[in-house]
Amino acid sequence: MGNTPLATANRSLAWRLWHNHNLRFVLFGLVIATVPLWVSMGVFKTSWLGILGGTVIYAIAAQGMNLLLGYSGLISLGTAGFMGLGAYISAYVTGDMGLPWEVGIIAAVVICLILGLLVGLASLRIEGLYLGIVTLCVAEVLRKTFDEFTAITGGFSGKSANFPTLLGLFKLNQGQTFVLLVVVMVLIMMLTWNLVHGQLGRAFHAMRGSQVAAQAMGVSLMKYRLVSFALATAFAALAGALYAHFTRFVYPSTWALTLSLNILAMVIIGGPRSIYGMFWGALVVYAVPDLFLKQIPVIGDIGGLAYVFSGVLIILVVLFYPGGVVNIAQDVKKLLRKITGKGKKEVSGNG
Amino acid sequence: MANTNVKTSAAPAAKEPTLAPDEVLRIDGLSIHFGGLKAVDNLSFAIKEKEIFGLIGPNGAGKTTVFNCITQFYTPNAGSVLFRTNSGAVENLVGKPVHTIIRKGLVRTFQNVELIPELSIIDNVLIGAHSDFKCGMFSQALKLPGARKEERKMRQKAMDVLEFMGIADLSETPCGGLPYGIRKKVEMARTLMCNPKLIILDEPAAGLNDVETQQLAETIYQVRDKYHCTVLLVEHDMRLVMSICDRICAISFGKFLACGTPAEIQQNKQVQEAYLGVSEEAYEKEEKV
Repeated sequence: MGNTPLATANRSLAWRLWHNHNLRFVLFGLVIATVPLWVSMGVFKTSWLGILGGTVIYAIAAQGMNLLLGYSGLISLGTAGFMGLGAYISAYVTGDMGLPWEVGIIAAVVICLILGLLVGLASLRIEGLYLGIVTLCVAEVLRKTFDEFTAITGGFSGKSANFPTLLGLFKLNQGQTFVLLVVVMVLIMMLTWNLVHGQLGRAFHAMRGSQVAAQAMGVSLMKYRLVSFALATAFAALAGALYAHFTRFVYPSTWALTLSLNILAMVIIGGPRSIYGMFWGALVVYAVPDLFLKQIPVIGDIGGLAYVFSGVLIILVVLFYPGGVVNIAQDVKKLLRKITGKGKKEVSGNG
Repeated sequence: MANTNVKTSAAPAAKEPTLAPDEVLRIDGLSIHFGGLKAVDNLSFAIKEKEIFGLIGPNGAGKTTVFNCITQFYTPNAGSVLFRTNSGAVENLVGKPVHTIIRKGLVRTFQNVELIPELSIIDNVLIGAHSDFKCGMFSQALKLPGARKEERKMRQKAMDVLEFMGIADLSETPCGGLPYGIRKKVEMARTLMCNPKLIILDEPAAGLNDVETQQLAETIYQVRDKYHCTVLLVEHDMRLVMSICDRICAISFGKFLACGTPAEIQQNKQVQEAYLGVSEEAYEKEEKV
């Protein structure tokens, strides 16, 4: 949070560049965007591209959840419903209506945003767990609609979509779509960073800290709860729409409660109120079981192992590591410093 | 003086709200009850500009309830709360949404300091300036020049306030785990961010030691002089109240007892009885009557 202009004004250019958050987000994105390269070189398996693409998509949805749960202290179990809705809308708009990919994404986000605002209205009257139940109901209604409303959703047999065609000119393949996902995620990270480090973020913090104090400081609970819900659903819808165009197939069974819970798990395990944490959370919750756990003999064959894994992990993180996995690198660094014995100088230099 | 309005208070201010030219806040016939309990009963007093005004009363007298009625956390059942806002207009605050009160220049602190532990001191202080931000969400999300400029301006203002409170060097420290005295200072700094006309302090000396209380008195004077605001405080520390307040209003069981200078209040029979009980002789006398 050391971003006061006063403190940074007299630092060197290199220091400022290194500590520029936007630059860091871009570097972070660049590293992830090399995955298709590794796949084509045969270092990673082809299936990894799909799994890591899913990770990036879930990281986007989790970023919305981060705003809602981490910053504003509200809960939603409806993320999956909104993701699904976004996916179907985008698939319908681009497939059946034949409109460009960009229109599909925007339609998905706008429609879900409006629905999210309606749910936000409900949140004004309901607190805590009950809010979770209401949002869960909304998601279940949506899921049932995906099953039954075959004219648009294709019912149980699912709905297909294509890889995006950018600006109607560049038809992307899977690898390029992956890069697109990463670009969107980096943009979302920057957006989130800007929002939470300004007036809006402080209002969210205030709301989480104490509703009474927030109101006394001039924060309108109604406005900021609605904003929080709207952002979370917009991010979820965006993630869902990207999902449709990355996996190119949308099934109703994807958008069940387990997905909403997984996204909650990503926020908690990744580290609430941390922007990078969402990607790490998504990686741990979604990618690790698929990439590694399934390779383990005997145990790997158990159905639902991923849920056991994320469940146990939530408990462990909440009990022993509430900051989330995003802090691992820092803590390891600290530990190394302790071991090598030159701890004190380094710490004071950074502080 | 305050008692003269008792009769008119039953009908909530439908007529033109009026304040004497030197008054900043006037409470008229304020009543609120929770079920059968009358927490505040027909209370009236007025606060003059640049005054340090104390509200005292034994435990459970309804002091905090009065605060909550002024800041509209509770909507009073009857009575009016007239306030001269930053713009100079006189408004009846009753029924106004809670979050709009601060914009009018009326800000409060809390009995048990309400800060956000995860945020740094300066960010906590900036929350106090929430209503002063004019840039929309869109320009914030994209960090447009307007939003940057505004944020810089507010940060500078926050630094000035922290400088004034003497905690500028801690500005980037997270609030969680700070000593109580400093957290209280942060909360006070937060109230100063909104150019307040009237600051309401809910037990500012609670949990402070003698030296800190002394400093607090000093700070309250400085705040009044530098920021040209009026201070209304609820406090149990009688030494503090008696030494810094220009006038004091005493209440007991939600009812008005007396209003006057500290000396007058100390001499007042009813106030003494409310705090110390009635002496046996007086009690017997009363029985006979």
